[in-house]
Formats: sequence, C-alpha cells, structure tokens
Amino acid sequence: MKISKIRGLVAALFAAVTVVAPGASIASANTEITFWSWRTEDKAFYESQMRLFEAKNPGITVKFTPYLNTEYNAIVATALTAGKGPDVIQMRPYGGMANLSDAGNFMPLTTADVPALKKLPVGILAGAQGYKDKKQYGLPYAVSALGVMYNPDILEKAGVRALPQTWAQLQTAFDKVKKAGFLPIGNAGGNGPALEQLHATVGPTFYGGTAFFNDVVAGKKTFTDKGYVASLKAVADLAKWMPANYQGIDYNTARGLFANEKAAFYIGGNYEIGYFRSLNPSITIGWFPAPKANAGAKRYVGTWADGAYAINAKTTQKAAALKLINFLGTKEFGQALVDEIAFIPTAPYVKINDPAVKEINRWRTTLGTPFLNVVGFRFENPTSSSILQPGFQKLIVGGTTPEQLAKDVQTAVASWYAPQKGKS
Amino acid sequence: MSSALRREQNRTTGTLLIPALAVIIIFTTVPALTTLSYAFFSWDGFQRSTFAGFENFQRLFSYPYLDQLTAALRHNTIAFIVIMAFQTSFGLLLAYAMFRVKRGLRVYRVVVFLPVIFSLVVVAYLWQSLLDPYYGPINQIITGLGVPELAKPWLGDTSTALPTLMFINIWRWVGFPAIVFLAGLNAINAEYIEAARIDGASESQIFRKIMFPLLAPSLTIITVLTFIGAYEWFDLPFVIGGSNGSPAGATDTLALMFYRLSFGSIDSGANNVGVGSALGVLIFTLVGFGAAFGSALLRRREVEQ
Amino acid sequence: MIKLFASRTFFQSILIINAFIVLLPMFFLLNSSLRESNEFARTPFALARDPFWENYQRVWSEGEFGSYFINSLIITGGSLTLILVLALGAGFVLGRYSFKGNNVIFAFILTGMLVPAKLAILPLFIQLKWMNLLDSRLGLILVYTSAALPAAIFIMSGFFKSLPTDLDNAARIDGASEFKLLSKVLVPLVRPGMAIVAIYSAIPIWNDFFLPLVFLQSPEKKTLMQGLTVFFGQYASQWGVLFAGLCLAALPLVVLYLILSEQFIKGLTAGAVKG
Repeated sequence: MKISKIRGLVAALFAAVTVVAPGASIASANTEITFWSWRTEDKAFYESQMRLFEAKNPGITVKFTPYLNTEYNAIVATALTAGKGPDVIQMRPYGGMANLSDAGNFMPLTTADVPALKKLPVGILAGAQGYKDKKQYGLPYAVSALGVMYNPDILEKAGVRALPQTWAQLQTAFDKVKKAGFLPIGNAGGNGPALEQLHATVGPTFYGGTAFFNDVVAGKKTFTDKGYVASLKAVADLAKWMPANYQGIDYNTARGLFANEKAAFYIGGNYEIGYFRSLNPSITIGWFPAPKANAGAKRYVGTWADGAYAINAKTTQKAAALKLINFLGTKEFGQALVDEIAFIPTAPYVKINDPAVKEINRWRTTLGTPFLNVVGFRFENPTSSSILQPGFQKLIVGGTTPEQLAKDVQTAVASWYAPQKGKS
Repeated sequence: MSSALRREQNRTTGTLLIPALAVIIIFTTVPALTTLSYAFFSWDGFQRSTFAGFENFQRLFSYPYLDQLTAALRHNTIAFIVIMAFQTSFGLLLAYAMFRVKRGLRVYRVVVFLPVIFSLVVVAYLWQSLLDPYYGPINQIITGLGVPELAKPWLGDTSTALPTLMFINIWRWVGFPAIVFLAGLNAINAEYIEAARIDGASESQIFRKIMFPLLAPSLTIITVLTFIGAYEWFDLPFVIGGSNGSPAGATDTLALMFYRLSFGSIDSGANNVGVGSALGVLIFTLVGFGAAFGSALLRRREVEQ
Repeated sequence: MIKLFASRTFFQSILIINAFIVLLPMFFLLNSSLRESNEFARTPFALARDPFWENYQRVWSEGEFGSYFINSLIITGGSLTLILVLALGAGFVLGRYSFKGNNVIFAFILTGMLVPAKLAILPLFIQLKWMNLLDSRLGLILVYTSAALPAAIFIMSGFFKSLPTDLDNAARIDGASEFKLLSKVLVPLVRPGMAIVAIYSAIPIWNDFFLPLVFLQSPEKKTLMQGLTVFFGQYASQWGVLFAGLCLAALPLVVLYLILSEQFIKGLTAGAVKG
C-alpha cells in the first residue's frame, strides 16, 4: 500500500514536471544561433569573440561556421533562396549580396533594434542596403582603405629619403630600389581582383576621384572619359616594375614577396597587413596614400564598407540574433577587430593602437573616395569588375589597350545601368 | 522465346530497371529540367520574375557574353581533342608496356594509377606550387639546365595556361585509361595471340590486327567519358584559375561561365540566373547531341567488328 | 622502329620514366610537409633532413579528422554500394534483353551523364528540403548515386553486351531464374566492369567538397574534404602546415589503395571474360 502510494506520488510528480517542463525548458534551456562567414582565416578570432558573447548572454550559444570563400555566395544563395540558412550571416558588401537583400532574404534592421547604425556615415551604411528598396539589411563592421605599403628598411638601403608625393617621384623611387637589388613592387598579374584593387588605389587621382564617381553614377560622364582611360594606363605602366614573370605570379606569392622583404612596396588594401604579419611577424610596414598623377592633381584613398552582419529573415531566434548583431556593433568587438586582425572597424570611439592602421585611417577620413566598381557597379551582371579583372590581366601584357578596355567596361555597364543606357 | 520466359523477363526488367530510373529521374532529371526552365524567365537576383521567352538567349549571344562563350567553347574543344589524343594514347602505351613487361609489373601497376586517387584539390595545390614562377622548383630546374628563357610563368601566361592545365589533367588521369586498357588486353584470349605468333606475325602486327580491334569496347567507354568530361571541365580550372578563368579568361570553360553567371563571384559581384540557365540549355544540347551521336557511331563500329 | 616496338627494354624504360613523373611531385609534397613554413619559402626544394613533425601535430589537433574520415567513408561507401547494385541490375537488363524501348531508355540514361549536380544545385536543394533530406547523409548518398549511375549503367551495359548469349541459354536450360543467371553466372564475369565503375564513381565522391558544403550543415556530419576547405583558408600562409594537411587528406585513400591494389587489379584483369 505504502509503496504504491509513493509510486503514485512519484508518477504525479513526474507528470507535473513534464507538463511544466516545456515552459521551464524555454526559460532555462539553451538557444542556439548559427552564424556563417567566409572568413576561414579569422576562425580563431570569431570563435574567441563568440565565447565572450556567450559569457555576457547566458542561455545563448553561437555556432560559428566559416565557409570556403570562393563557394560562399553559392552556398548562402542556395540556402536562403530555399528558405533555410543560418540565423546570422556575414554579408558581402554592396552588389555582393544586394540581390539577396532585394529578394527579402534578410531582416530589415532599424536603428531602434540596432542603435549602432545611428553612428555610421551614409557611405558606409550603403554597403549593406538593398539595391532596389535602399532599406538597411546589415550592420557594416569594417571599412577598407587602399594605399601604398612600404618597407622602411629597404627604402633606407635604397636611399629613398622622402616618401613619393607624385607619380613621377614614385617611379624614381622604384628605380632606386631596383638599383639597390630589390623588387620595386610585390604586386603581380596572376590574380584579376588584385589588379582591380591596384587600379582602385592608384587610379582615382587620374580620373578625378569622387567627382568622377558621382558623374558616372549620375550618367553625366562615361567610362570612356579621358581621365578614366589614363587611370587604366597607369596600371599598364606599373607592369614594368613588377617582378619577372609577373603575369603568372599568384596572389599569395605576390604578397609573400613583400612580406618576406624582397619587394619594397605593395599597393593594395589595409586588410593585407594581417597577412603580411602572419608570414613575417618581424616586418615593419609603412603606409602612404597613392601619389598624385601630377603636381596639379589631388590624392585619394579608395575606401568602402567591407562586409556587414545581417539576420536571416526566416530566423526563429530573432531576439537572440539581434543580441548578437548588437554585440558585433559594440566598441569592444570593434577594438578586438583592429587589435587582433588589423581591420578598421566601423564602430566609433575605437582606439587604434597599431601605427600603420592608425595612419591609414587618418588619411582615409581626409582623402577617402568610394571604390568605384564595388560601391557603384556590382549590382547586376555584367558588372564593371567582371570586365576589368580579366581585362587588366590582358592590359599588363599588352593584350589590349586602355582605350579598348574603357570601351568594353562602358558597353557592359550600359547594358543594365539605366543612367548609362545608350551611352558609349 | 517462350511466353513464360518473356513474362519473367518483363518482371525482371521492371524490378531491376525501375529503382535505377527512379533515382535518376528524382535526383537528376527533375532538378536539371527545373534549371533549364529558368532560362525562359527574367530574374531579380535569385527571385524568378516574369516569363521572358528567348530574351536570355539573345543576351547570351551579345556582348560581353558572346565573346566569353566562344572562347570557352574553344577551350573545351581544345581540351577534348588534346586530352583524347594524349591521355588516351599515353594510357594505351602504358597499358601495353605493362602488358609486355614482367619485371616490376606489380610496382608499375600501383604507380601508374596513383595520381588518379589523389584529390583534385591536392593535385591543384601541388602543381601550383611546383609551377610557381618565383619559388617553384620546375622553373629553377629549367634555369639550372641553362635555358632560363624557357622558365615561363606557366599558369599565368595566356598562351601557356590552358596547355599547362591540360598537362596537369593528363598527369592526374592517364592511369585511368591505362588500367581500363590493361584490363582489356588481359581479357584477350592468349590463344589468338599465340596462333598469330606461330603464323609469324610481328608484335606490332599482333597489336594492330588483333589487340587493337578487341580493345574497341574499352575505347568507346574512354572516348565517351573523355568527351563529357572535357565539355563539362570545371574542377581543375576552377581551383587553379578561379571562376573567371584567370589569366584574362585564358582558362575559361563553359561550366565556369555557367557557375559565375548563376551564383555571381566573390570578386566581381552580381549574378544572372537567366543568362546562366540559357547557357545551361546550350551546354546540355551540345554535349547531349555530341555524346549521343558519338556513342551511336562507336557502338556501330564495335558491332561491325 | 619495329624492333624498338618489340623490345622489352623500351617498355621498361617508359614505365620507369612514368614512375618518376608520377612520384617526384608526390615526393616534393611529402618533403615540404616536413619543413618549417618559413624555411620552405626561402628554399623550396631543399631536403627535410630534420623532419618538422609539428606541422602534422598542428593539423591533427585542429579539426576532427577522425570523425571527418568516418563520414567520408560512410558517404562514399553507401553511394558506391547503391551505384553498383543499381547499375548491375539496369546494365544487365539494358545490355542483354532486347525489348521495345530499350534504346530510348538507354538514351535517356545517357542524358543523365550530361548534368553535373553542381549545375542544378538550386532546385536540388529546394527538392531535398521538401523531401526532408537536407543535412542528411542519406540525401547526399542519393544525389551522388544519381549523378554516378548513368555512367555506371553505360559501362556495365557495355560489359554485359560483350558476353556471349550462349551463357544465358545454357543457364536457362539448367533451370536458372533470371536473377540466378545474373547473380551466379554473369556477375562474376563482369567483375572488371564493376571495378571500373567502382573507381570511376568513388574518386569524385570521396574528393568532392562542394555538395557537402551546401547540403550538410551539422559539424558532426562533415566530410574530410569539407573540413579541409576551412583548414586551407586558415593556414593559407603556412605552407608546411598546408602541405601536411594535403598529405593527411590523401593518405587514407593511398593506404587503402596500396592494401587493396593487388586484389583490385586482379579482379579487374584476371576475372575477365575471353574476348
């Protein structure tokens, strides 16, 4: 009798627990959110940051998964289009994923939900907006800046005393470096996108930077503009300073030439600094903005928002995902971004300790001009980049002329970009 | 044929054929037809919008796609011809060598086939570092031999990139036809060969008159697989030259073009599913007719012999 | 020339040259995997006199290679079993029976060879989601099976066709059912074809990383090649570690092949039917 009573009690208790349990488990159990990225190289960084986030937000765990960058667009597009995918997504900037935004795959973010958005400048915010509806779909986390990186030790050995201010001075410096037995620049031609970035660094001073950007976007000027052709020619002119067999030197080898102190200069983005240091921790890297085309021209620093964090419109963990986005917009995260992987964070009030990054950021705020192709013309195919990347590879070996390449870009863009339609 | 046997055969046909057909229809035919249907719609990114008729095809046949299309088609065709000519003949040579050689045969059989089992990613990384124009041992060896003018940027020069890719492909795959042919050679009745020898036929006569004709079924398999492989060449060019067929589109192929049009690329932005699918229709038709025509031709020849 | 063609030395030397071309790059890979990354950058083809095993330790501690390996094994093994069973049946019917529609069905199956799964990835993904086969090893196995089947059936039907018809009639007179005929009489004779199908299908499945990247999300289901793609990005600048990873990725299949090669080649070449 007694035993069965106890049994009954236990059963009742058990039943009560199971009835209560669903509610209880929601309150106490873990919410897991998934977070996709293409930055396999930053896996360790993100994982340590996620542990910090989890410590601050008990009850939420984050599963961070980085994907092969070359396949990332296909993987994300496939998953989102089919109504699946992660809760939080690292989003490629501007045209990189705007088509997914326009199709309603990301949750629009408001400044009420994500206060950090209020502090970002318009040009940076544009990096994570829909192309058609211009709604904010992502929180841009980093900006990139283009310029000339140099190795002070090599410059000293070569007798280059002052940093080049003009295109002519740059070439004189290259000559001196070459005479001293070093490679002038590590940049090479094996990788189309790297050549495009090279052009975005040295080109704006030839075509007139932001003014030209605005005119082309408005349809007032075309890519066949004399200044733009001259900017393409500048890239062709750099070929003679590249290492021997430059057309076959791939991106990693090219960067390795600078990192391993064989080349004096590397023309490109601040995001390379992390890679240089991982190859050669003892390297000193200096930075200056691309020189002006001639004494009368202006100098520019190409810049753009380089990626954002967005929330899947179909997420079932909206609250937790927003918490994560807000964490990614904090000063602490921004600080870690610059301290650990040398990115320039969008988050304000971050103290940049790294002298090279500090210098870059200082110039960026005064001389910044939008990266023409990325900010303006990657929204539909054929993009200007898809013509220029293989085009530059042809140009530097004399397979095409600057005039022809400019014409090709114009024809491609005019085929879809309304303000340029019918113009040549 | 008795009607009982016919009934049994009908039943067997059903049980053996239907599962295979079902798998193919569900997981290949249906998704493929869906992809092809995309060609007749206009697209907003990944969202299907209105019916577009042949508009996507018109765009595919205009600038800049037409240039890319003709270049890619040319590269695929070159790849088919060169790979067919070299991979198959080297494969046959290796097979015949292994057939004739007694000493060390066990080692050779293993070695010949070894690259085939390597992952393509491994093969690509390996050859990229071997061929690196700056650090790579191959150019250092060439320079060391006293002919520095031959130390080219193999994968970066528009004139050598495609041949180099084909070489890597052959290096990786030649063991496959070799083993298939070796199997074919070993399957030939030794009595035929003995009889021919007794009749005073030379080894080369025996090869040409007896062995080669009997290898016809193996050759059919290899030819059809090479044809399809060449016109759908993707992995090696993608891993080495990226989706734009670097340098300057010199290693572009039809499948690469389809991929970047469908999904966009990391470095150059937006996609165009409609034009991509129009290209898919084109590839499918082209390869389909080619393979059907070719295999019909080869099968007829086999029967005649 | 004819003399040369007949001489064994000629063939011996061809095989030796081939062995060098095959083995030297592989030796380079192995050697580089045992050198420190910075050293490799300085002198890319010096010998690793003092092997730097830390590269391998680094790789091994990084991912869950053991679990990746088992997943790859399950997926490749599962697909291969299905491919062989289905291709044997379909190849037998298409290669040995003459019935109305045989050619049409054969042509239809051939068209399946023309569609790489990669090119139909978007509808395939939506379909798998609808069938509840996303993030599932079975889903991936079915996709691989479907992709490899057409070529497998093409190869198998060719082998079945090449067998003399007397075999069937003799077996039937002995009272064998059609299934018995296939399993007891013909299957042993088409073993070389099965071996060709096995390698031709297994290698791309084992080495594929694209479909697992798209279809499998759970970390515990990751395959070896899928796991490696992250690893490559992470260690892009550390050549030694990268090469060690490549070696480790290639190793299982190489070892398996070395162990099985004798049997495999025997099965491929000895059991063949007289032409």
